[in-house]
Amino acid sequence: MPSLSQPPSIDVHDMHFSYGDACALKSITLAIPENRVTAMIGPSGCGKSTLLRCFNRMNDEIPGARVTHGSIHIGGIEIHHPSVDVVKLRRNVGMIFQKSNPFPRSIHDNVAFGLQLHGSQNRDLIAESVESALRSAALWDEVKDRLHDSALGLSGGQQQRLCIARSLAVKPRILLMDEPCSALDPIATAKIEDLVRTLKEQYTLIIVTHNMQQASRISDHTAFFYLGELIEFSDTLKLFSNPSNPLTENYIRGTFS
Amino acid sequence: MPPEESPSPQNQHCFQRRGFSYDRAIKYFFASNAGLTIVILLLIIVFLLKEGLGFFPGYRRELEIYRIAGLEFVDISRRNLTAHEQLSSVLNRAYFAEINGQCARELKRTREASAVFNSFSDQTSATRDLIVNNQNSGLDPNSEMLAALRKNHAIQKEKALTSLPATPHLTAAEREQLLASIRTRDATATDDPPLVTTLAQQYAAAQQQCAKPLAELRTVIDSFEAAGADLSTLVTEMTDAVTSTKEALQNADLLEQNRKSLLAAAANAKDPTERRKLLADAHASLAEKPDIEGPMRALMRRQPDCSATHTALRHACADILARLPPSLSQSDANRLLRAANKATPLLLDSLGQAPQQITQWRHDKPVPLSDAIRSFLTGKDWVTGGAWQDFYGILPLLIGSLMISFVALCLAIPAGVGAAIYINQFASPTEQSVVKPVIEFIAAIPSVVLGFIGILIFGTVLRDLSQLDALAWVPGFPIEERLNMFTAGCLLALMSIPTIFSLAEDALNNVPSAYAEASDALGASRIQTSFRVIIPAAFSGILAAVLLGLGRVIGETMVVLLVAGNRIKIPDFSAGLGSFFQPSHTLTGIIAQELGEVPLGSVHYRALFVVGILLFGIVLGINVTAHKFVSRTPN
Repeated sequence: MPSLSQPPSIDVHDMHFSYGDACALKSITLAIPENRVTAMIGPSGCGKSTLLRCFNRMNDEIPGARVTHGSIHIGGIEIHHPSVDVVKLRRNVGMIFQKSNPFPRSIHDNVAFGLQLHGSQNRDLIAESVESALRSAALWDEVKDRLHDSALGLSGGQQQRLCIARSLAVKPRILLMDEPCSALDPIATAKIEDLVRTLKEQYTLIIVTHNMQQASRISDHTAFFYLGELIEFSDTLKLFSNPSNPLTENYIRGTFS
Repeated sequence: MPPEESPSPQNQHCFQRRGFSYDRAIKYFFASNAGLTIVILLLIIVFLLKEGLGFFPGYRRELEIYRIAGLEFVDISRRNLTAHEQLSSVLNRAYFAEINGQCARELKRTREASAVFNSFSDQTSATRDLIVNNQNSGLDPNSEMLAALRKNHAIQKEKALTSLPATPHLTAAEREQLLASIRTRDATATDDPPLVTTLAQQYAAAQQQCAKPLAELRTVIDSFEAAGADLSTLVTEMTDAVTSTKEALQNADLLEQNRKSLLAAAANAKDPTERRKLLADAHASLAEKPDIEGPMRALMRRQPDCSATHTALRHACADILARLPPSLSQSDANRLLRAANKATPLLLDSLGQAPQQITQWRHDKPVPLSDAIRSFLTGKDWVTGGAWQDFYGILPLLIGSLMISFVALCLAIPAGVGAAIYINQFASPTEQSVVKPVIEFIAAIPSVVLGFIGILIFGTVLRDLSQLDALAWVPGFPIEERLNMFTAGCLLALMSIPTIFSLAEDALNNVPSAYAEASDALGASRIQTSFRVIIPAAFSGILAAVLLGLGRVIGETMVVLLVAGNRIKIPDFSAGLGSFFQPSHTLTGIIAQELGEVPLGSVHYRALFVVGILLFGIVLGINVTAHKFVSRTPN
């Protein structure tokens, strides 16, 4: 196991996961540090997205999907324990999806949605939170004059940052990102990457990506998955410059078969 | 291009040799299918307009005849006469309701005794008739046969005595007396049992007794009825005069039409002899212009007489009605009395205006086309096939259709949309696989089957329910008519639920799953996701589903024809919500009912086409609006 200087925020221990009978993740043990960006890479179907969705139990909605063995602790709490409130877990563990998915409402209402969901009624308080979330997502200056226009009128990159703002508005501690830039052009991607770097001061970020340059640019730690197993997990610098496993080396060199 | 890649003309299919490729042939095939449906739709619209728009000139001519023949003039008096007659009928009903209410006990007793005796007679009358016939049939009655018949009668009598109706208002002794008199009764006896006669006499006596204090009311009613005699005579006399003028005018119109078609045929005829013959025919049928001025002058001479009669009647009525008692003792009678009191000022008002209307009326005032259109769109009467005058006013039908649709939507929207939300958002897969086909299965019930279920079960059950005392607080209860707008609305709701359900469910299904995912990831519960994200996003689709359901409801024919009661009358809105329990007719029902019986090309026939056009317009408008909403749904 790689040694980590930070206390672990997410602690996965010998976890197995299956969709019905098909085993998707095998014996994953992983400690993700706090206030760092952790990238998860690997070929398609290697299970990295499945693992990501385990962290806020988004897999609950899929019939037959379940953790068959092992455990995931977030902040010291076993998240699959029956007493855990999924709603609270998801407030603490936000998620950004591959394709931006703003609601067909105004920009303001999109960001305020999570707050209203959790019972905020005070308009001033909501407006304040919306502004600070949009500022954190580096979107405020672009939309402050049209907060009440439809969110569907924004560009793809802006929509994705709006989704980040929407997640930030409910003040999570961890932010999961499932290939957040795969549908964006290079300029929008660069903006999101800048945003990720600033966000790590306050949040723990986990980002699934297919883009190895991106992983090397923005992450502090990188995990490489292959066929449902965690092959290697270490400092990004070490993993990309001096991988300890030949599979990892083949994958990052692009000579993977 | 190398020669081997291009097939020689001999190898090509005949299509290809003519410049068609297979692709283009297939494309044209499907394009022609699509084109055909559009062409057929256009043809239908053109046909509807062609048949329908001839209505307004035809109707205008009918209204013109109505005026120049003087029917309109007579109608001023007729309306007042009818109102007067209706008011006297209400007063009479109040009078008898009062008497019968006061003699309720005697009435029930005599009815029960008669019911017992009638039940006995019904069960034995066949044999009794045989005995009587046999005895009267000749000099030599068949004694053996007679004995057998008498024996049979005795058996039937015993049997009948065990199954007689209950008599809660007769004492046990009275019932025993009645049964004894029946038991000892001879088979050929014709007189009623003594108790039946006594009770009838008692009832008559009680009626007389009750009538004594009401003698004053009786005289009031009688003099009120008598006051209308002059107007009645006047109307009858005038009616005869004007109808003959009307007939003459109509015949002249027919002849003129005939002549025109003969002339048209002559113009088209190729053979010169035939043309001459047709022209001669046309000339021969040149109609004499009927004399309308003479009868009109005669009618106008009655004007002062007419005005005077109205004024006299008004004075008589005002005097008489002031003598009505303020209230009566029976609740039924009181209700009728209140209705009479409400109708009185209207009648007096109408009678008061009549002289002015009579003097101002002019038979030569022109009837513009706009009058026909206005009379169609805002007319309160749809009267057809009558001897007097036909009116084609769409209002009673339109109101019927709208009220029935309103009831249907009030029931179908919560049921259909609610079911769609439940099935799409909350139901387990097993529930989905059961409930969805079952709801869609309702659409498979033919509407005529639904209609007779509605008549036989729903209407009867509803009326019986409405008679329960516990439900008397519901407005409109107890229901008088088994077939009414509410019943029809309920069945139409049932018919439109599958449409609304399926389309609303589709709309919910079409909401991108990314919305639900985003909402879940923000920590929304299942219900929050459904009601704050999914349903708002599907809202325009759900609205479109409701509108298409409405289109289905308004256009539905069979159920309303069978169940709505088919009374062509604007409902009495004074009953409030209870007015939904009145029968009515509808735009669709009237077409289905009358189109089969009207002469082709008549004004009535064309009126039905205009109703069809209106219906088409309404449903088209609804569907276009629904389409607008569907295209607004985000994908």
